Amino acid sequence: MIKAKGRIIQLTIIYLVLIVTFIYFASPLLWLIFSAFDPEASVEFKVPKNITMKWFLALVEPIGGAYAEVTPIMWIINSLIIAFSTAVLVTILSIMGGYSLSRYRFRGQSALLNAFVILRLMPPMVVAIPIVIIYAKIGLLNTYLGIVIVLTALILPFTLLIADGYFKSIPIEYEEAAMIDGCSRFRAFVKVTLPLALPGIVTIWLMSFVIAWGEFLMPLVILRSPYMYPASVGIYYWFGAYGRVEYGRISAFSLVYSIPTIVVFLVTRRYLTKGIAGLVTR
Amino acid sequence: MKGVLAYIRYKLAGQLFILPALVIMIVFIVLPVIWGVIISFTDMSLVGPKAMRLDFVGLLNYVKLLTDPDFYNSIRVSFFFTIFSALIGQAILGLILAILLRMRGIKGGGLVALAVFIAWVIPEVVAGYVWGAYASKEGLFNMLLSYLGFEPVNWLFRRPLETIIIANIWRGTAFSMILFSAALEGIPKFIYEAAEIDGASGWQRFRYVTLPLISYAILIDFILITIWTFSVFTMVFVMTGGGPGGATELWTIFAYKRSLLPPYEIGYATAAVNIMFIIVLALIIVYLRLISKFKI
Repeated sequence: MIKAKGRIIQLTIIYLVLIVTFIYFASPLLWLIFSAFDPEASVEFKVPKNITMKWFLALVEPIGGAYAEVTPIMWIINSLIIAFSTAVLVTILSIMGGYSLSRYRFRGQSALLNAFVILRLMPPMVVAIPIVIIYAKIGLLNTYLGIVIVLTALILPFTLLIADGYFKSIPIEYEEAAMIDGCSRFRAFVKVTLPLALPGIVTIWLMSFVIAWGEFLMPLVILRSPYMYPASVGIYYWFGAYGRVEYGRISAFSLVYSIPTIVVFLVTRRYLTKGIAGLVTR
Repeated sequence: MKGVLAYIRYKLAGQLFILPALVIMIVFIVLPVIWGVIISFTDMSLVGPKAMRLDFVGLLNYVKLLTDPDFYNSIRVSFFFTIFSALIGQAILGLILAILLRMRGIKGGGLVALAVFIAWVIPEVVAGYVWGAYASKEGLFNMLLSYLGFEPVNWLFRRPLETIIIANIWRGTAFSMILFSAALEGIPKFIYEAAEIDGASGWQRFRYVTLPLISYAILIDFILITIWTFSVFTMVFVMTGGGPGGATELWTIFAYKRSLLPPYEIGYATAAVNIMFIIVLALIIVYLRLISKFKI
């Protein structure tokens, strides 16, 4: 009897904690969704009485203000260009680098892996300010090429470690068998290991795509023209541009902008969880 | 000769495949970092005569920083922000959630975990925009508080530092939750059964079984979230821009404003960045030491 009572109190506390936590984490997201579909969207949290798509349709219209022809949809296209190019470049370089790292042993290899960890954990601000000076000198300021290259450089330390780990998890015996059958060492890797590593390669592509897609600081410091902004800098510019904030349209835009990221992370959630678990389990 | 060429092709060619990646990382990360160290000893400016003709000023920028109240303010804000939102907020909430979600017979845990996870993965600018609205006078935060009888206030003006801390706990808890879940998963069940047979209470089991067994995970979690939180720029920049009156001016925002907005003091700002980078670097080295020990 006493034990049952204790159990009820315990359960009440647990559910109370879970409910409060859920409200804390879900309510800002719910506001974003509600205000994107609410014809009378405002900063207030309210369940919309009617549902409208007008904010989404209005994303092709100019945002107004100083740069008359800038439309939000333009920013999405810019983000696509930047994220797609970065992801392709990162994936190719990671496959090549991962091949060297996982199939060869060379001097300074472990020091190199440590250097990748340092680069991966470094505050991006350390790079952001000098890169502006360097880009101004070599003419990469205000170009997509400049953004794509610096983002590639920032993402590579992370994806090279993934590629290295993934290729190592595929037994080298398969390649050796192919080599006995007359394949060159490189061909054996391309023909045998690469297809087996496809899930890892797709993960690398998706990860680098969403990292580049969400990146804010580098485009902020490198780009000058609102016509060239990606969605991230666009939202910031739009949010802070005028006295009156267009909550409906910015929310709709933020939602469109967030969906690829959410989808990718939900798809790769298990892989991601495993990666984090790898930090603390043998 | 032919043999040597074949040897090179067999042995070395494969190693060269990493070169393009290395070149890009060296030219676009390592060199800028070194360049940042060099210009921190100059009076470089982004515009004006000092953009082209700069002079070496020795340690002047670093000396000036030591007497700059704005710099001290940014250090204070960054430390508060990191300690409360990462070490206290994210780590404790993450641990509590990891424990609760692993309990048997608790329903709805998956939904909570999903909300925590999505908050972590949406683009950072969106998180900043949402929390900028959330904490405003008409936002949901005040609506919830008004049910409890509090007057609505604009939290970004009245309690700016607390607000960005709460926002960043929201943003980052998922990592600690996932990490601790994995660590708890690794604890064999029989240890708990043995402790229960010995008559250990729930708290005792947590204090003397769980905590020591996940101490390594806690350490790793502390270091990583400290590094990440200490480096935060975007979310707070979008929410407050460092204001009002510098109340939320993290060192990253301080450096950005000083260098790329007027007065464009690049040399001065990079000196500040370098000091902070040394702190982060020390943490990264501790982290590397830890993981290399763990692997053996």
